[in-house]
Amino acid sequence: MTRRHIGKPPPRTAALLAVLSVLAAAASADTQQSPANGAWQYMRAQLYGTRDISEVGDETMSIEAPGSTPDPSATPVALHFGGDLEGKVKQVRVIIDNNPSPLVTIMDLKPGLPVQEIDLRVRIDRYTSVRAVAETTDGHLEMRSTWVNASGGCSTPPSATEGGTLGQIRFRPSADAKALQISIRHPNNSGFQIDPRTGDPIPPHFVSHIRVSSGGETLMEADTGISLSENPTLRIASHAPLRSPLTVEATDVPTQERYTATWTAGSTK
Amino acid sequence: MSYLRRTVPPWLRPRRAACAPRAALALLGLWAAAAPATDAPAALPVTQVAPGVFVHLGKPLGLDAPGHDDIANIGFVVGARCVAVIDSGGSMRVGDGLRAALRQRSPLPVCYLINTHVHVDHVLGNAAFRDEHPQFVGHAGLAAALARSRDFFLQNYAADLEAPATATEIIGADRGVEVGPDVALDLGGRRLKLRAWPKAHSDCDLTVYDEATGTLFTGDLLFVGRTPVVDGSIKGWVSADESLAAVPVKHVVPGHGAPGTDLAAALAPQQRYLDALLEGVRTQLALGKPLQDALRDVQPDKSAWLLFEQTHPRNVARVYQELEWE
Repeated sequence: MTRRHIGKPPPRTAALLAVLSVLAAAASADTQQSPANGAWQYMRAQLYGTRDISEVGDETMSIEAPGSTPDPSATPVALHFGGDLEGKVKQVRVIIDNNPSPLVTIMDLKPGLPVQEIDLRVRIDRYTSVRAVAETTDGHLEMRSTWVNASGGCSTPPSATEGGTLGQIRFRPSADAKALQISIRHPNNSGFQIDPRTGDPIPPHFVSHIRVSSGGETLMEADTGISLSENPTLRIASHAPLRSPLTVEATDVPTQERYTATWTAGSTK
Repeated sequence: MSYLRRTVPPWLRPRRAACAPRAALALLGLWAAAAPATDAPAALPVTQVAPGVFVHLGKPLGLDAPGHDDIANIGFVVGARCVAVIDSGGSMRVGDGLRAALRQRSPLPVCYLINTHVHVDHVLGNAAFRDEHPQFVGHAGLAAALARSRDFFLQNYAADLEAPATATEIIGADRGVEVGPDVALDLGGRRLKLRAWPKAHSDCDLTVYDEATGTLFTGDLLFVGRTPVVDGSIKGWVSADESLAAVPVKHVVPGHGAPGTDLAAALAPQQRYLDALLEGVRTQLALGKPLQDALRDVQPDKSAWLLFEQTHPRNVARVYQELEWE
């Protein structure tokens, strides 16, 4: 949890991008109607080798997404952790099998952090499995998956509500301060979108890394990519009020610019 | 035509030269051979809602149902010099049908084809009017919106275009109306006033007002019976509705649903829905609720609306993303 990256892409982001491009080739080879798991079998080997991955019950871990998404370019995905897993998750990877960039995020959590829920908003390009694999502090892998029917989420043009200040960070806490939604004003251009005015492809421009810290201590670090929706949004919920003040730092690719903001309980900006 | 005969002075009546070749062919018995009956598009049924104002009513069907190309209200307004078409339907077939209906009622040239916005059910019939050489008119943002949508239309609605479907069949506006003062189009003896709106139902909404009869074509700024689709800005739409309600009109033609004579009454259910949607999502945001909670919990009264289950969740997702940056 101490990796830092000043001035150049962090090594793991570079690795993530490399994996993504290989995975994209694997995923696009899959042309079946139903969300076949061929792409997943390939990624599983790449990401986890031959390690056992168990599928746990709802009370331990669950993943929720709308079966037919109302907005393929902004589909909510919610992960819940409970029972044995609470406070024992050290890493979560979220994977959308049939997306051009299947690995949505790798999130490292501070061991012992009592996270009960993580919410993301993602692009979904076509009918696919959406899965989360959690690695526990004692080295077990637990997986849950769900299906989402969607079309074209990765190439949806920038929305009609785009605008605002690049890198602006907005905090939206729940009334009891046990949940906090963090939104980053950013187009998160996927590289698959077309500029309506010129007809040219819009180059990838996305948030590659999000770090959440408190009192100098890192609570969560996430490598992120183009499968996150425009205005990348992350929400974490716990059974206890979140520690405040809490600082968020987001890294831009390709500019490497850092956007930071600090939330203090009782404030929303 | 009865309208023309009744109200247009003889010196303003159309010259028939343009139709002479067709008439001559018909006399020779050649016209039928040149255009077999199976190829002749059937004229769409149209209703004259006010003198010289003809409307074809769209069907209350979903966007994936058979007949989905004929769901929007489309029509035309006949002046002394020429005709303006207002939206062309969701396919070449519907556009051809509208053109055939127009030709049953007027031989005048089509000088304008006005699109009220970019959505597929209003624009895909444009190509059916290409040979009429109208000026294609829309919101200043329509050309860009069409450019953005062209690939999507080709991928999803190719069967509604003339085969082989190409991007050139999806015709954009060659004249744009900016948000600001109304722009008048003269049809000879009657004027249409066009108003471009800030982002509302879409990002390129345009309304058309016929001064002669007090008829307002709202485009999709007004849905009657069919669940309103928020594709632009909920805040913009609520504000546009307030402005629209103040326009004195004798007849109103919504983008979807039955035409009427009382604009305020026609707007009321939509205003109730949009207000409930706006307030519902705002409340979720104020409570720090995520999108999936809003999708589950923002449930305005759906009893009055067609296609609510297919439309409302997407509205919630769009409105949530708009309002979270308030």
